[in-house]
Formats: sequence, structure tokens, C-alpha cells
Amino acid sequence: MSGTRNKKTTAAFILAAVLPVVILVLSLNIGAYRIPPKAVFTTIVGAVFPGGAASGPSPYADILFRIRLPRLLLALFAGAALAVSGASLQALFKNPLVFEFSLGISYGAAFGAALSLVFLGRKVPAQAAAFVFAIIAVLAVLVIAGKSASQVVTILLSGVIVSALFQALLSLVEFFANPYALQSLIFWLMGSLSQADWKDLGMTLPIIGVGVTVLILLRWRLNVLSLGEDEARALGVNVKREKIVVIVLAALTTAAATAVTGVISWVGLIVPHLVRMAVGADNRKVIPLSAAYGACLLLVADDIARSAASFEIPIGILTSVVGIPFFIVLLKKSGKIWL
Amino acid sequence: MKVRVENLHFSYGEFSLHVAGQTFADARVTSIVGPNGAGKSTFLKCLATILPASRGSVFVDEQDLADLSGKSRARLVGYVPQEPSFTFNYSVLDFVLTGRAASIPVFSSPSRHDVAAAEDALRFVGLAELPGRPFFELSSGERRLVLIARTLAQDPDILLLDEPTTFLDPRHEIEILELIRRLAGEMRKTVIVTLHDLDMAVKYSDDMVFMKGGNVVAAGPPGDILSEALLKAVYDIEMGILDVDGRRLIVR
Repeated sequence: MSGTRNKKTTAAFILAAVLPVVILVLSLNIGAYRIPPKAVFTTIVGAVFPGGAASGPSPYADILFRIRLPRLLLALFAGAALAVSGASLQALFKNPLVFEFSLGISYGAAFGAALSLVFLGRKVPAQAAAFVFAIIAVLAVLVIAGKSASQVVTILLSGVIVSALFQALLSLVEFFANPYALQSLIFWLMGSLSQADWKDLGMTLPIIGVGVTVLILLRWRLNVLSLGEDEARALGVNVKREKIVVIVLAALTTAAATAVTGVISWVGLIVPHLVRMAVGADNRKVIPLSAAYGACLLLVADDIARSAASFEIPIGILTSVVGIPFFIVLLKKSGKIWL
Repeated sequence: MKVRVENLHFSYGEFSLHVAGQTFADARVTSIVGPNGAGKSTFLKCLATILPASRGSVFVDEQDLADLSGKSRARLVGYVPQEPSFTFNYSVLDFVLTGRAASIPVFSSPSRHDVAAAEDALRFVGLAELPGRPFFELSSGERRLVLIARTLAQDPDILLLDEPTTFLDPRHEIEILELIRRLAGEMRKTVIVTLHDLDMAVKYSDDMVFMKGGNVVAAGPPGDILSEALLKAVYDIEMGILDVDGRRLIVR
């Protein structure tokens, strides 16, 4: 049993190192304008080694470097951010059904970003506004849940209330938005990576990079925190301080991603559960593997969004179509053991 | 290390705990007994500082626990709950390793030294062959042993165990109590344990503390304090005490 799991863990880590890069490279071929693999290769080689045999202006360079690469990097980082923050929050609240969406973080961040986009004309960066409201949302959930915050149902219901509140506030923003802003806001809210440009990524990727890295560094601590406040405190952990750090990092990474991608739900639920099924519950494995497979999931979802139809399908719809049945299965399992 | 309690107060709703003064001797097993609702577990949690006392202090070798950081406290006092309350199905070794939290920096993971300490703890409780087993696959008795192993991996001088034998069959009950004796005897730990079974408490304790209604009614070595009058006063029922082959048995 333990030998099989060790083999699975090794395989999972090897795949985690290779798969995101492979999918990213393959994804460069996919899109409304299909670029042959050979042309992708020569364009990249030409850009990396200017003056070489493959150099010279490529007709594909603009599409690859201005449109596709930023979009794919955003998918990679946003997928990692959502999956890692979901896994971390599940450990922190010792609640396998908690993720950024059920804690109100996603809609809090979406409201903040929408406020910035529609009314503040980006005077306040969307990432900053998203972060502030993501934190407000998670604090509101914790206040409403009160002392029962570690109970699955209480925290889910508190999250539903806060998410509903921020959805209503979002509707208010939509109501007052001008028709042009409204159209782009609605499309953005459904979740889309099409808005990715290097300027936004310059702010988003470092925030996500730092947040995810620190959460990965805290991976073993999350094992201790997942024992519950009393036990963790008895083991010498400064629970209050470490809890705040994890919540802030989870909100920060989710908000940074949401500010650019819109609301992409369920990644933070699906990925950590699949990883636990493969390698067990130890967060030393779950957190870093969630980062890699979250990145893979969003890359693949974006590939489907871009290529399944003649128009682009909002990626948030795709992740919901997969995530909702997954959540129902998990709810039915609730009360039994969690891997 | 000696534990001294001074004027400890804690209240929750209608219930209130008040221990004017109580000392727990070094490297001895002290059992806290009393009827349901007497405040045994509350007293133990106040000793572990899991429940914050509204007044009073707990001293370990004259060091007030309230003045220590969480880390320093965890190196002195270890708490073994009745049942773990975790949600995720960690392996036995991963679970025992959490006992090392006070020795591992926040951004680090357990080192080889920590793993060796956890394996030593598992060996001490007789579960050396189980490190890879998922915790939820263990029997109740094995789970209690793993909980004790986690606290041994923490390596505190004082161990507080909350009803470690409840719901266990006689074989596992004795296994746990023998282990508790070894903790005080071989490892020189100060052990404070809440128990329901009076016969077992008398047999395995160096000292006993009888509680009722949130107060300590009597404390001392069982041979000195145990009497039918005390049992009647604490439990409100008639119980007899028999001496059989040098052992004191309580008859209901």
C-alpha cells in the first residue's frame, strides 16, 4: 500500500515538473489562427537566438508573443494560484469543501476589480481593489460563522451569504455601468484569459509568484494547522498569526488572478481533491502538486475554450461545468473519510 | 518537573472551576477522578492553557506558563486529547510528526532528526511497524497510542492525558495505563491523567485528585485518602473498599 503510494507520489512529482511546460508549448499551437508546430518552434528559436539560422521576422511572432504567450502564462499562474489557495484554505479550516469561491473571496475580488474597471478608470489597480474586497469577504465569512467556523456547513452557508452579497453589489456596478463597459464587464465576469497583456501580467505574475511560493513554503505547517486551533496551539503554533498569513496569501493570490481573469471557480476544489486521491493528505505533497496540476487544468481548459467552437467559450463556464458535478459527488461523500 | 496551581478560576456558562492550590509531583502519575461534569477535563485543559483561566496561574518549576511563548510552553507541557479532531487522513508517521511543530521553523519541514524522534516515539508506544498506515484505518486503542506518541515526539516534561482509556476494551485499557506508568518511571515525565475507572486509577496512580462541582475535594496518594466516606461524598452513591492480595478494590 505504502510502496504503491510512494511510486504514485514519485510519478506525480515527475509529471508535475514536466506536464505544465509540455502543455504550455503545445498550447502555443492552438487558437483561432492555427500555427503549425514547426512554425512555433522556429519562431521561438528565432526569438531566443536572434541571428541564428531560424532568425528573421516571423509572421507568427506577434500572435505568439503578444497574444498567446501572455495568455498562457496567465493560465499557468492563475491555475496554480487558485489550486494552491484552495488547498491551503481546506487545510486551514480543516474543511475539505472550502475553497476561495465558498469563502466569498472570488466574488469579493470580482466586485473590487469591477469597481476599479468601471468607476475608477484603473486609478486604483484592479489587483489592489480585488485584494481589499477579497479580504473583506473572507473576514465577513469568519464573523458570520463565528465560533463554528470549523464546521463544514456553517462556513459554507456563511460563504453563500457573503458571495450573494457581493454578487448583488456586482449587479449594482453593472446597473450603473455604461453599455460599452457593461459588455466587457459581463464577458470578463464569466471568466476569460483573453484580456491578458504584458502590462497586467507585470503586476499579476509577481504577486501570484510570491503568494504561491510562500504557501508552498508553509506546506508542512498546514498539516499542523489542519489539526484544529486547540491542538495546533497545544503543539506550540502561534495559530492566530499563522492563520492570518495563510488567509492573506490565499486572498492575495486569488484576487491577483481574478482581477485579470474574472471569476474562474472550482479549480481550488477539484485539483487538491484529485491530488489527495493520488498521493494522500500530506500537504508537503498536496500544496506543490496542486500548483502544478492547477496550472495544467487551466491551460487545458483555456485550450478547449479557444478551440472547441468557432467563438471563444468563457473559461469560467467550462470549469463550472466540470466543477459542479464534482462538488455534488464530494458533498455526498461528506461525513465519510477524506483522503 | 513539578506543577503548581494557584487560585485557578475558569467559568463557562453555569459551570465554574476553582482550584485554590494543587501541586503535581515530579515524575509521578497523578489521576484526576470524579463524576461527569466535575470539571476534570476543564481542569486539564486549563493546565495545558488550551482554555484560558480567568484568574490564577499554573507554574512549572516556579515558571508561570502564562509568561511563556507558545513554543516554550509546548516544550514543557504536552496535551493528549481523547480523540483527534482532524479531518484529513494522514499517515501515522505524518500525524506523529506534527508533535515536532515547536522545534521546526515556520517555513521548514521536518528534518531527519524530527523523523527519527517520531519513529522513536512510535517505537516506545509499540507501533514501530505502523508509520505508513493511514490514521483512520487504526483501531481505537492504536489511535490513543498514536496520540501519546505524538506528544512524546513533542518531548515535553509534563504530559496531560484526557481520558485516554475511555471506550477501550480491558486489554487496550491496561496497555495504555502500563505505558503511562513507563512514561513516569522510565522517561521521568510528570503525568497528569483524567480517568473514569476508579479501580484502575487506584492501581496505576501515585497520587489521586478527587473533583466535584469544579472543585478539588481531596488529593494525595490513594492509600492515604481513599475512604468510603470520600467516595460517597464525591459520587453520591454507596461504594465499598476491599483489600484483596494487597490491592484495593472498589465495590459498587
